[in-house]
Amino acid sequence: MANENNSRKAILVTPELCIGCRACQVACKSWNQLPAITTKNNGSYQNPPDLAGTAFNIIRFNEVPSKDNPVRWLFVSRRCMHCDDAGCMNICPTPGAIFRTPEGAVATNSDKCIGCKLCVQACPFDVPRYDEQGKMSKCHLCFDRIANDMQPSCIKTCPTGALKFGDRAELVTAAKSEGYSTLYGEKDLGGLGSVYAFKEEPNLYGMLENPRIPSSVVFWHTYLKPLSYIGLGGVVAAAAIHYLAVGPHKDDKEV
Amino acid sequence: MAEMIRKSSVDEVVNHWVLAGSCLLLMITGFAFLFHLEPVGSMFGGFNTMKDVHNWGGVVFSLSLLYSMKHYLADAFEYDADDLQWFKVAGGYLSHKVTVPPMGKYNPGQKLYYLAIVACGLGISISGFGIWLMKDDSTIMLLSHLVHNIAFCVFAIAVPVHIYLSTLANPGTFQIMVNGKLPLALARKRYPKWIKAVGKM
Repeated sequence: MANENNSRKAILVTPELCIGCRACQVACKSWNQLPAITTKNNGSYQNPPDLAGTAFNIIRFNEVPSKDNPVRWLFVSRRCMHCDDAGCMNICPTPGAIFRTPEGAVATNSDKCIGCKLCVQACPFDVPRYDEQGKMSKCHLCFDRIANDMQPSCIKTCPTGALKFGDRAELVTAAKSEGYSTLYGEKDLGGLGSVYAFKEEPNLYGMLENPRIPSSVVFWHTYLKPLSYIGLGGVVAAAAIHYLAVGPHKDDKEV
Repeated sequence: MAEMIRKSSVDEVVNHWVLAGSCLLLMITGFAFLFHLEPVGSMFGGFNTMKDVHNWGGVVFSLSLLYSMKHYLADAFEYDADDLQWFKVAGGYLSHKVTVPPMGKYNPGQKLYYLAIVACGLGISISGFGIWLMKDDSTIMLLSHLVHNIAFCVFAIAVPVHIYLSTLANPGTFQIMVNGKLPLALARKRYPKWIKAVGKM
């Protein structure tokens, strides 16, 4: 798997460094030629309110007041986590619609997507969205850029270093040495491709605790899929053995 | 020509072929979705078109399954002492030396097979419509996906057995699904209770 691949790339998100400028949202729209969305003010500066078919990354504005800072905001970049064990890839019925790039990104090909929306159910992070053409769309780690030795557009534009891109192992080591006690996504789901460097507990930053692929999807992937072809092959083999060993029914006996 | 007797009506034979044809089409395309079989997808011009074929094939299968109940469902719920004995000798399939009790129109293996197909067929149809039409309901999607795949495993195991038993394992049986008839002499040996019931013993 990609996890053992030394060339695996990742995004490191450090909310302590984020100023909430959302240039990353704009850069993503620019590179991916995504139109703007009309939204309504819902009492927060967070806009758009969540990921959308034309919003592959957003900054979540977590309002977490503390004793010495009554107006404390934690800005957390939300996007595809590029899981090593990706539920969307497991469940997708179409070859090539969701694929793993050599850099470890989970990328999409909307020409091949059949619009079944199963990936939405299998994603632990509620990331996949559908565009107006009924095709799945999400962050693809700018796989077209990184394959050409460029940074993803959001990283390229980030003015503070809150978003970093590079070799996953190096980013993780550097973040630990800088004193970030919690690295969200270091081990989850085989290791995420979007790793978060926190100084406090992940739930303070609004992160999902213990992300898991739905158990029915895991059961299906682990047991039902093999059962279908082993069962089919087994009964065909049993029929052949029966035909040779016992033979067809004979009507020679009088009733 | 030997005297023939009609076992299956034209209506039943035609519906059986619609059911069998749609079932095989759905199983082949289903396996292609499950295991990303690109050559199968290419035969339909890509997975997008194959999805439409699979969905509408499912509509045909569902309707045909409902219609088949008219032909088989009543029989499939009736069992007697001979049926119990039939299980004890495994239908005579494991040895030609055992004495198989006299059977009616259908043996209990066929009847239980039909009930399994009805149960799993309804499950796979309803869950299929769930996946197709109720994409935005998370509970329905995940439950449907599970039911669809469990029922698929039953089909993948049971259907080949049905095909083998109705062709190679029992010579002469396949013809009933071609013209609905079989020789009366053969029917007297295989389905004595049915022949008695129609007064031709």
